[in-house]
Amino acid sequence: MRLSQIISKFPRFLKAAAALSGTVLLSGCFWLDGPQSTFDPNGPVARRQMDLFYTTCWVSLFIFVVVGAVLAYAMIKFRAKGEADEHAEPPEQAHGNPIVEISLIGASVLALVIIAIPTLSGIWYSYDVPSQDKADAYEITATGYQWWFKFDYPGETAQTLDPTGKIINAPFSTANELVIPAGRPVRIALRTVDVIHSFWIPKLAGKVDMMPNRGNHLWLKSDNPGYYWGQCAEFCGESHAVMRFRVIALGPKEFNDWVNAQVAPARKVASADQTQAKAQFAEYRTFRRNEAGYTSAFDASPLDAWRAKQVPPVTGENPALIQKGRELFSQKTCASCHTIRGDGYIGVVGPELTHVGARSTIAAGLLENNRDQLHRWIHAPNEVKPGNTMWVAGYLANGIKLTPEDEDALVNYLQSLK
Amino acid sequence: MEALAKSDFLAKGETAAKPLVLWRPTAKTGLLSWLTTVDHKKIGFLYGISGLFFFIFGGFEALLIRIQLAVPNNSFLTSAQYSEMFTMHGTTMIFLVVMPMGAAFFNFIMPLQIGARDVAFPRLNAFSFWTFAVGAVILNLGWFMKDGAPDAGWFGYAPLTTRHFSPTHAIDMWVMGLQLLGVASIAAALNFIVTIINMRAPGMTMMRLPVFTWMTLFTSFLIVLSFPAITIALVEIMMDRLFGTNFFEVSNGGLPILWQHLFWIFGHPEVYILILPAMGIISEILPTFSRKPLFGYPIVVFSGASIGFLGFGVWSHHMFTTGMGTTATAAFALMTMAIAVPTGVKIFNWIGTLWNGHLTMRTPMIFAIGFLWMFMIGGLSGVMHSAAPSDAEQHGSYFIVAHFHYVLIGGSLFALFAGIHYWFPLMFGRKVSEFWGKTSFWFVFVGFNVTFFPMHFLGMEGMPRRTFTYDGDMGWNVGNMTATIGAFILAIGVAIYFLTMIYTFFKGEKTSKDPWDARTLEWSLPNPPPEYNFKVIPTVHARDGWWYEKRHTEEIQKEQAEHAKEDEAHGGIHMPYQSIYPFLASVGILIGALGVAVIDPASTTQDPGFWGPKVAVTILGGLIMFVSVVLWALEGNDGYHIHLNEDGSIKSEDHHAGH
Repeated sequence: MRLSQIISKFPRFLKAAAALSGTVLLSGCFWLDGPQSTFDPNGPVARRQMDLFYTTCWVSLFIFVVVGAVLAYAMIKFRAKGEADEHAEPPEQAHGNPIVEISLIGASVLALVIIAIPTLSGIWYSYDVPSQDKADAYEITATGYQWWFKFDYPGETAQTLDPTGKIINAPFSTANELVIPAGRPVRIALRTVDVIHSFWIPKLAGKVDMMPNRGNHLWLKSDNPGYYWGQCAEFCGESHAVMRFRVIALGPKEFNDWVNAQVAPARKVASADQTQAKAQFAEYRTFRRNEAGYTSAFDASPLDAWRAKQVPPVTGENPALIQKGRELFSQKTCASCHTIRGDGYIGVVGPELTHVGARSTIAAGLLENNRDQLHRWIHAPNEVKPGNTMWVAGYLANGIKLTPEDEDALVNYLQSLK
Repeated sequence: MEALAKSDFLAKGETAAKPLVLWRPTAKTGLLSWLTTVDHKKIGFLYGISGLFFFIFGGFEALLIRIQLAVPNNSFLTSAQYSEMFTMHGTTMIFLVVMPMGAAFFNFIMPLQIGARDVAFPRLNAFSFWTFAVGAVILNLGWFMKDGAPDAGWFGYAPLTTRHFSPTHAIDMWVMGLQLLGVASIAAALNFIVTIINMRAPGMTMMRLPVFTWMTLFTSFLIVLSFPAITIALVEIMMDRLFGTNFFEVSNGGLPILWQHLFWIFGHPEVYILILPAMGIISEILPTFSRKPLFGYPIVVFSGASIGFLGFGVWSHHMFTTGMGTTATAAFALMTMAIAVPTGVKIFNWIGTLWNGHLTMRTPMIFAIGFLWMFMIGGLSGVMHSAAPSDAEQHGSYFIVAHFHYVLIGGSLFALFAGIHYWFPLMFGRKVSEFWGKTSFWFVFVGFNVTFFPMHFLGMEGMPRRTFTYDGDMGWNVGNMTATIGAFILAIGVAIYFLTMIYTFFKGEKTSKDPWDARTLEWSLPNPPPEYNFKVIPTVHARDGWWYEKRHTEEIQKEQAEHAKEDEAHGGIHMPYQSIYPFLASVGILIGALGVAVIDPASTTQDPGFWGPKVAVTILGGLIMFVSVVLWALEGNDGYHIHLNEDGSIKSEDHHAGH
């Protein structure tokens, strides 16, 4: 097909393209409202970054349309018309025009100045909490591990029991679900214990890297209570793609309640009824490798789903089974890496699990926190997160084998830790 | 030329028997002729073939990546395989495809454009190619070993590449392979610089150089200045891995940020190393098919130079998220905006070249205009990244993937495809089918845009790069599926392109000299050009030398007849002898590199642990290289003379040693 034919069909192509993109946009809204969409900022930092994006985008589009129009005009207007024209005398051998050159350079510089000014102000704004809000800022430390995130709350104190049963106080930390106060600036110190990770909550703030031997930080604010998706954004090894996390922003009262619940030691399920003591073996679903770990019911209202996890179930818990799980947690060496305050487990290599039952996700934001997914995770961690430390340095190195009964007991125990 | 013609070692007319090791091969056909060739055209061909071979390799890696990402929660590849794929796709496409393809054109075209009979150091040129080949082998060896291919990304950020996090030899091979490619590139670049400065034909002043030759010069300077930075970084990580130094060992106070600075102060100029040759090719094609000179030649040249300079001052825009602090971020943001000016100026001048022209829409021209459109998109999304705060959202996302593929495919690759098409008649004397050329263009153009345009949206929707899987509830499904479909359309286009080229190589329509009515000196040659290139070294009278010659035939004929007589009086056309030593030196390097990168060290628990096979093989390789280089020096830069008939065929060869 000759170019002229193609160009003559342009209007039809354009109409078809417009119709197609219109349908796609309306039907799925597939590019604007995903859980990690930067088009939907929920805080001042992300909004400032989005505004700047639109500035650069409009300037670029304007340049593209103008220059593109000139180019398209030249392509059509100066095309040789047929064989004879191709072999006609060549056109005037002109070498350029300094005035045109200089004015175009001037115009380019002008366009860049339009981008430069909001860029500079944005750099200073997004770097740290504005000074007038500093006093109100809430401090958290986020630490990257291959492949999960640890969150320390230096301002809060957690209670735990020492071996003699006395309550002692220690700084409090949690993992993979960052709970922040909504409406308050939050300043997050970024650390890593191994390789470079990058901390990114698209709807709240652009990413900042967690660099070894370097103290980085970022700040963000969630305007309203909400539930956000986050993900590691720097390649950090085999399971980088599944190193994710969630952020839960809560109003002042709810945040305080959450802190109070978290600093308390692990929940104990009272063993009132001894007749329930015999272990019941539950059926668990099996999963393909990389099979989705989320459900649409959860996504419909994630914040409510998270709230529901905070409350212990009224019935259905099996204290004997839970107690067996608590013992297995130490026998199967889980306790050498995980902390469960109140149950005497003080490992610090893996995520702290004192209240893991109250989290909405497990395995670093990858799987919804329910019995099937938890079983999937402890049954074959390597299928979920290839190369992860629990598998390599735990299961493989210590020769850990879990029977179906063991897995059932551990699932019941961990689910009880509200 | 004088320097080439004289032998320093046998200058006294001595024809005495030489030791056997200094025997010079003279085979013109067969395997030995290729292993020992010093002809810049043959070496260019070798670079081109290797580049195309690895292009197919890297393309398959890309398709596997797209298959894995076609649907959410896919398990076509394991995450380990996926890491190997994207690491080797990036490394291959940059170092083993676009760079050697650029080198192929530099080798083949540049000496012809400046009216030279070869590059300044023909044997060094051969050494560059063979060392490049060795580096490519080392990089890809992992596919055939249990250690696997390199898997830490083409950027290889420490400390992921340290022994603790990547204990296998995969990273050793990556480190060693890149160092060898650096050696090859620097040697080649120095060669090109000397050639362009010293071997221009009479009258070919710097401001008459074809723009492609200018871009060769700038690219070569960028290579010479930027590759040492990555070499330092690679040597440091190699020391960390082999000898336990602590440049990047975090637990001993190493600083991984150092790697990023060293890598990107190489890595950003590298981007221009990939795009400047493309700009050179475009600056040749647009004037030819517009039938008028390049608009604003001096501005195009100077903007190429300023891109080269500024290119060394923008590296930290790859590091906006590393917490550099406000001032450094602001400085690099402004520098990045500044570099957009000379780049934009080039686009304006290319459009100015079309303006008032007689555009003949042949396949090279269509690829070149496709380049203009695509490079504009890639350039503008690049400017968007200079806004550091919004880059914090785009960095490391698919938006970046979209951006640099617009620059590297829509830019570099379109230009290389245009260049192959354009110079094919000169290289092989056959012309590529216009129909199949244009068909391939439309498949490539559509497939490319369908693949990469949706990625802008994927990135803004928060999809990070280098992820082997994603969930179906993120809103990324449509974009990914579209991209995968596009990738296959693109693959069909590329396949059509290559099949057409292969067909043309064997069966294509024979074509006469200068089929495009071109403007630069290489088109004054018969096709394919004879091994001595120019029967008579041309005298250049104007910027578009061949265009001038075509319009002043009588004057030029008279002038050339005189020069031919002078040449004959000087003993004919001087040709350099072939040599096996560049090849042998590279073989030595290969063996040494295998010792360093692939063989396990002797167990440290045994005493003495040092003299294991690792050290022995490394030293053996080093020795072979050393002896080859010594013999290469001793055999001297001799050559022979050829005398021509009227029609350009060789009448006789004159093998007196030395001059």
